[in-house]
Amino acid sequence: MPVSTKTAMGTLVTIEVVGSGEGADELGAAMDCAFGWFHEIEERCTRFNPRSELMQVCSCSGVPVPVSTILYEAVRFALMLAEESGGAFDLTVGHRMEKRGFNREHRTGDIVLSPITPDDDVSFRDIALNPDRKTITLRRPLTLDLGAVAKGLAIDLAARELAPFQNFAIDAGGDLYLGGSNAHGTPWHVGIRHPRSDGQTIASLRVSNQAVCTSGDYERRSPDGQHHILDPRTGENPDDIASVTVIASGAMLADGLATAVFVLGPVHGIQLLSRLAVEGLIVTSDLRRYVTQGLQQVA
Amino acid sequence: MPEGDSNNGSTKKVANGLVAASCAAVLTVYTAGYIRTKSAVDRFEAQAAERRAALPESKRIVGRVDGPRSAMRTEPATERSSRHFPAHDAARAPKRITPALPPPPEVKLLDPSDAGEPIALDVSRLPLASDPGSQAAVLPQPPASPAESTVEAVAPAPSAPKWKDGTYLGWGTSRHGNIQAEVVIEQGRIASAIIAQCRTRYSCSVIEQLPPQVAQRQSPDVDYVSGATQSADAFYFAVVDALEKAK
Repeated sequence: MPVSTKTAMGTLVTIEVVGSGEGADELGAAMDCAFGWFHEIEERCTRFNPRSELMQVCSCSGVPVPVSTILYEAVRFALMLAEESGGAFDLTVGHRMEKRGFNREHRTGDIVLSPITPDDDVSFRDIALNPDRKTITLRRPLTLDLGAVAKGLAIDLAARELAPFQNFAIDAGGDLYLGGSNAHGTPWHVGIRHPRSDGQTIASLRVSNQAVCTSGDYERRSPDGQHHILDPRTGENPDDIASVTVIASGAMLADGLATAVFVLGPVHGIQLLSRLAVEGLIVTSDLRRYVTQGLQQVA
Repeated sequence: MPEGDSNNGSTKKVANGLVAASCAAVLTVYTAGYIRTKSAVDRFEAQAAERRAALPESKRIVGRVDGPRSAMRTEPATERSSRHFPAHDAARAPKRITPALPPPPEVKLLDPSDAGEPIALDVSRLPLASDPGSQAAVLPQPPASPAESTVEAVAPAPSAPKWKDGTYLGWGTSRHGNIQAEVVIEQGRIASAIIAQCRTRYSCSVIEQLPPQVAQRQSPDVDYVSGATQSADAFYFAVVDALEKAK
């Protein structure tokens, strides 16, 4: 069964395709394309490279900047998610993340700071899109952060490349897309990590043709011990939730929603997921579980 | 531990705006990327098929092969089926990188002399996944016996084509980018071939063993390279393109 692992977007990306290895040439080409999307999207959407398309846009506030389809669609979806979540998800938290010490390029370890000092009250409402001309305008100086969206987008595109092979798994640092079924011909088993106990799972799901993304307060801590999710409305770390797992049709949706739900807290988070007919599991800091309708058995 | 089945899409409500938007965004980006690369992909696929179809029908002969040679010919298939990949648990299984395997090689008779005479068999086109840099092996062929299987083999190109002296450039394409080859013809023969420009996504160092093969073989017919089949094909077509101009 072909498995391939590469480094991209600051994490390990593993693609596994179920099968005997027939059509190895086509599979090899599809895997190359799948990994290619990760690199392409990282190049355009990272805020850790001052020459990335994203950072070019950030350095040109006040004017409409024509951008690539990748960047335009990523920003457009992020804005919709920001709107839908009432600002709990906000792609303009970039500078606050920098201030918290989330400022290192993952390959070189270099500190990357954007050359702008935005006002503290910038929000997604300071971004305007022109759908006809595919331009992005930042009405005020600000730093975009597409972390939660870009990786999911790459996973979804990789899944499209692998669609002809039907049964496959993509794992990008714990964000998963599971196509078809596993080697036993049954839906994939996905364990959800226990947020307070390494190596243990707190729930187990069976998933087919869906993405599973988990945001936890245990991943990516800044030098002073803060985790990587900020409440854009307060600038603080939300402290109710230990981890959020979202199961959705795509990884961009699941990853973005996991971030938004983390900020919203368990009650409003479950409300948002239910409104969107997306399944999710929330584990609070005191290890209580909140689940959506479809996951009642897990609770 | 309880298990939940989240695969119950049929009971779900109609997809709402955000869910639909995420699907649309992925499709838009994918389509944009597809349009950008589609013509190159189509061209690549047509070329690859052409290359794998080998020489025209008129240049094919039928030869008899003995047991060992048959075994060698089936080697890639055996290798594929005997590979042991981690069973099913992507999270815990050891990670392995699987190079793209080249297509089953063709058996090429270098010297199609009488069936009873020993002749050389060029196995250079066999995939050498574990050691891509190794030189092509030339094995002596034991006398063939009529009872054994028959495979189609490809005759060598006839006498050296008549190329005009000079230095010629040609381009070859693949879905990972293009390669320009520079071929020097002296006294009607290929004196040298080099990679003049490497515009592929990956470094051309993976196929650096190929350019010398062009002069050695007096032919663009270089080895396949496991894990770099597309770069190898691009180089092949670049040489073919350059040699076209030398005619």
